[in-house]
Amino acid sequence: MEKEALGPTSTLDQATLDALRESIASVLAEQCGSIELHTFVDGKNALDKTLWAQAGQLGWLGLGIPEQFGGLGMGAQGLAILHGELGRQSAPGPYIATLSAAQTIVETGGNDIRQTWLPRLGSGEVSAAVPATLDRHSLTRSGAGVSGTLRCLGGVDAAFLLAPADDAWAIVDLAGAEVTVAPMWDRTRNVIDVRLTNASPVGILPDAAATCAALTRTMALAVAADSAGGARSITERTIAYMKTREQFGQPIAGFQALKHRAADLATKLAVADEMVRHAVQRTVTDEPDAELWAMLAKSEVTEACVFVTTDCVQLHGGVGFTWDFDPHIFLKRARLNEVLIMANTALRDRAAAALAAMTSSGRSALELEL
Amino acid sequence: MSILEAQHDLSAFRQAIRDWLAEVVPSDWKARMARASNEEYIAFQRWWMAERSKVGLAIPHWPKEYGGAGLSQRHLIAVADEMARADAPQNRLFTISLIHMPGTLLPHGTEAQKRRYLAGVANGEVWCQGFSEPNSGSDLASLRCRAVRDGDHYVINGQKIWSSNSMYADHCLLLTRTDPNAQKHRGITYFIMDMRSPGVEVRPIRQANGRAEFGELFLTDVRIPAGNMIGAENNGWRVAQATLASERGVISFEGGERQRYEIEAFYRKSLEAGAAWLRDAQLHREFVSFLAEMQAARRLLRRVLQESETPSASASVLPSIVKLSSTALRQRICSFMVRIGGVDGQAFALLAEEPFGSPMFDFLSAFSGTIAGGTNEIQRNIVAERGLGMPRV
Repeated sequence: MEKEALGPTSTLDQATLDALRESIASVLAEQCGSIELHTFVDGKNALDKTLWAQAGQLGWLGLGIPEQFGGLGMGAQGLAILHGELGRQSAPGPYIATLSAAQTIVETGGNDIRQTWLPRLGSGEVSAAVPATLDRHSLTRSGAGVSGTLRCLGGVDAAFLLAPADDAWAIVDLAGAEVTVAPMWDRTRNVIDVRLTNASPVGILPDAAATCAALTRTMALAVAADSAGGARSITERTIAYMKTREQFGQPIAGFQALKHRAADLATKLAVADEMVRHAVQRTVTDEPDAELWAMLAKSEVTEACVFVTTDCVQLHGGVGFTWDFDPHIFLKRARLNEVLIMANTALRDRAAAALAAMTSSGRSALELEL
Repeated sequence: MSILEAQHDLSAFRQAIRDWLAEVVPSDWKARMARASNEEYIAFQRWWMAERSKVGLAIPHWPKEYGGAGLSQRHLIAVADEMARADAPQNRLFTISLIHMPGTLLPHGTEAQKRRYLAGVANGEVWCQGFSEPNSGSDLASLRCRAVRDGDHYVINGQKIWSSNSMYADHCLLLTRTDPNAQKHRGITYFIMDMRSPGVEVRPIRQANGRAEFGELFLTDVRIPAGNMIGAENNGWRVAQATLASERGVISFEGGERQRYEIEAFYRKSLEAGAAWLRDAQLHREFVSFLAEMQAARRLLRRVLQESETPSASASVLPSIVKLSSTALRQRICSFMVRIGGVDGQAFALLAEEPFGSPMFDFLSAFSGTIAGGTNEIQRNIVAERGLGMPRV
């Protein structure tokens, strides 16, 4: 299978990244504010659809796709910004599945697969599904067909599924497949059950190990960035609320016990952001430890986000436990992020094995530019 | 080429430092210091300062007119990085001399003070800080050590505490109360005190980790010339902010880098020895989590350095955030080392030759991070009030 070599992704300068962040943030702030989000959660608007169409038009979905396949070529840095901002607004839609599938195809797909799918993924014409966890189940391959049932992350209207099928990874058209929605507590993302019976794959990625590694890493970066953005956003909303909520004749933000908790949250957020940046940086410069740091970023940051969102419910008091306020939306998204890809214990086990292997071979996984 | 001659090419500068360190740092210095008495340790610190001074690395970042080499912060970072990489001795005895004193005198000192005191550090003059008092810790501005004008002198009476290395100090950065009737921040005056003045008594304080790095200062009718005042009378609080702010930066960066090499060496040795803790998956997970936090902390420390060269640096709460995260991480790493060290890890030893070779000593010492330089509780107030805009009530 022919595979054109891609040039190295260059590191983008801070001004470019800041401009990108600002443009995405301003669109999302306008279209995916708290009221629109709550209306969506209640099933009374199609925010996921309108945002997706907008994202396609604005080129967001092609941020990580190289220019020769119709994308913007901004790589892992561009994607981390997009996922971070989507997380900030708890934006609904199949972004993690679709963008991670696209990035995996960029890395391990043959040219025919890249040319077929990347322009359509980048424009938003189609979305993709991937297994919600990557270390459990596989489809089975028999002759030309694949079969099996997989619980996946992705929209009910996903065009294809990218999934392991015995000794390779398959791209399976979902047009004729049995797809059912599994309703989740997190209503901002869709989990679907896909049942395939002797379906014909429309593409095969033969290097299963490399494909699994690429999807693990890109999903890990996406989930970590989404969690970091969500945690920061709900913390800001919570502190804003604490400044207006008065008890004992003063804003509760003035109580030292609560200030100290808020400061601890701010500290966690600063650390989480750096974990994401570090993992992204190692990917951009294609370091041998890139996967290790992506796995650690996902496990650490998703757990930090669960801690932060949990505390934000509590810091709101009674209203934090209501459907009408924001914290529960972020908490539910955080909890789903925590369990995606694979259990954080399993990710840490893999990171530990990678660290031991690197260290034993005399290399350091702790290099950091000045 | 000497180190300073190589300054225009950063990689040649680094190489020159590396060559010098390889030549001058005794390979057995840690083993020797692990068994050293206090006096031997102090003598070693003075020797190290003299060696640095010989090659122009005692005060390389200070302006040339005050005895420095006028090197940029990038050079200073390179020096710190090379010191950490080579596991060279630290300059603990001279922390106040190298960081706090110039951080105060350069912006606020008179020309005569700068000329008199700055260059002295390269000759081994030791400074200490007389800020905290037994009843003025976190509430530093409530300090009561009195200074009363008497002709061209001030007469000092009071007590200071937590003054690192004051037992060996030549000079002290001293905060005193000159106007007891003014609002507490407005009646404070800042002095340089000669530690050999009559009426200065220093008693070492033994710490929980067995060492005595701090002293307690008892000041009885100590006479300080009025020319030793830094800034104006009753304006000492503002000057003290410069002292406190100087703690941020390169010294913390170097600490973060040292911890990286220390923990990496520990891990390599564990692998080579087939250490038992590696067979416990949960401990191994905990360890990789530390590494993730450590990398984040090292990145944050780099951000503080970048930020320190911008005009908005003094308003930033990032140094407080970095202190909160790094010191808590250090404590958890040391606690981990105690847990996996078993009974042997609690055998009494002060300094150790091996990385984390005396885990209980390291664990106890880690409290200096969470308590000194403004307790972590004070840092939380700073983050919440100045960073998050939560009201002060």
